[in-house]
Amino acid sequence: MQAAQAGDMRAYERLLREITPRLRQMVRKRRQFFTAEEVEDLVQEILLSIHAVRATYDPKRPFMPWLSTIAHNRLIDSARRFYRGKSNEVQMDELPVTFAGDWTNIENEEYRDPEELSIAIKSLPEGQRKAIEMLKLREMSLKEAAAASGTTIGALKISIHRAVLNLRKALNKE
Amino acid sequence: MDTDKLIASLTENADPVQRLPSPWVRTASWFAIAVPYIAVIVMMMAPRDDLAVKFTDFRFLLEQIAALCTAIGAAVAAFQSIVPGYNRRFLLLPLVPLSVWLASVGEGCVEAWLRGGALQNFTSDFLCIPAIALVGMLPAVAMALMLRKGAPLWPHTSAALGGLAAAGLGNFGLRLFHGQDASLMVLVWQMGTVFMLTILCGWAGRLFLDWRPVVARVRRNLAAH
Repeated sequence: MQAAQAGDMRAYERLLREITPRLRQMVRKRRQFFTAEEVEDLVQEILLSIHAVRATYDPKRPFMPWLSTIAHNRLIDSARRFYRGKSNEVQMDELPVTFAGDWTNIENEEYRDPEELSIAIKSLPEGQRKAIEMLKLREMSLKEAAAASGTTIGALKISIHRAVLNLRKALNKE
Repeated sequence: MDTDKLIASLTENADPVQRLPSPWVRTASWFAIAVPYIAVIVMMMAPRDDLAVKFTDFRFLLEQIAALCTAIGAAVAAFQSIVPGYNRRFLLLPLVPLSVWLASVGEGCVEAWLRGGALQNFTSDFLCIPAIALVGMLPAVAMALMLRKGAPLWPHTSAALGGLAAAGLGNFGLRLFHGQDASLMVLVWQMGTVFMLTILCGWAGRLFLDWRPVVARVRRNLAAH
């Protein structure tokens, strides 16, 4: 550290590389609940702290107590921040949808009975059934479906809208 | 950032640093700033008329020496508190002169109580609060700036010790121009102000002694290179 204070980059790099595994071990031991990423973050914080206050090291005094005081202090500091952060957090259940209303949950709705759905589609008027088959089951584009069925895009849009309304009515009834 | 990369960039930007002098040397430097300022303030406020007589008063001398030693002890302890690796028992250093100071003032209070009429002479002396703050202002600012050069290990303790040093010195200066020596008055108004300022400084410790800005400065320097 004495050489590092004098600006010897190699000595400083050697020192930091030597102490890093020790710091990592110390952090892991004292903060067993930390993830590997959190451990590494804290090790880096300690290294930055050491760099910031390297002028306070007195070569007449032993190095290890100097180092462990900084590391220990930063560990306490991190624990304080951790618990302060936790105390400001509000635990909430993860909600699957934004609103509780049925009409907002159409996209996530699953047809529990595919057979029932198939019967409902078959019972639709022919134009609407064809629109559903082409646009929803075969996933054709409006342009492709219009070309295949010989109707206009506007007519297809009306047919699919009516088909969906009829299907919803039929499935909710039962 | 990867730790290896961080080490590489830290070492690349490791300019030579000037080693921090020992806490005793730093205390002497702080005194060299504070004492001329206090002398100027005392001269501006006009020293008390009976100052020469007071220098023959044992209790006055004892209390002044104790106040001065408390300031020195607190300053040394404050400067030690920002150097990693020191034994924390050193932080109790100012307690010895402080207890002598308190004991002397306390003994004076008991004596006045036994004589009777101690409370009759008790009046409000709010002047002590701004006067001690004024005398201790520059020493306090100098102390805060000097403490920021170290490691903010125990911000509240370091700041409280720095505040005690500045306020102790402020009280030492105050008694050179303020003719109030009744022990109960000294205990309540003067020592009360010293304790109040110490607590206030301790409370404000984290405002100027914190790891976050220290580390943020290093990060900024790394980003700039």
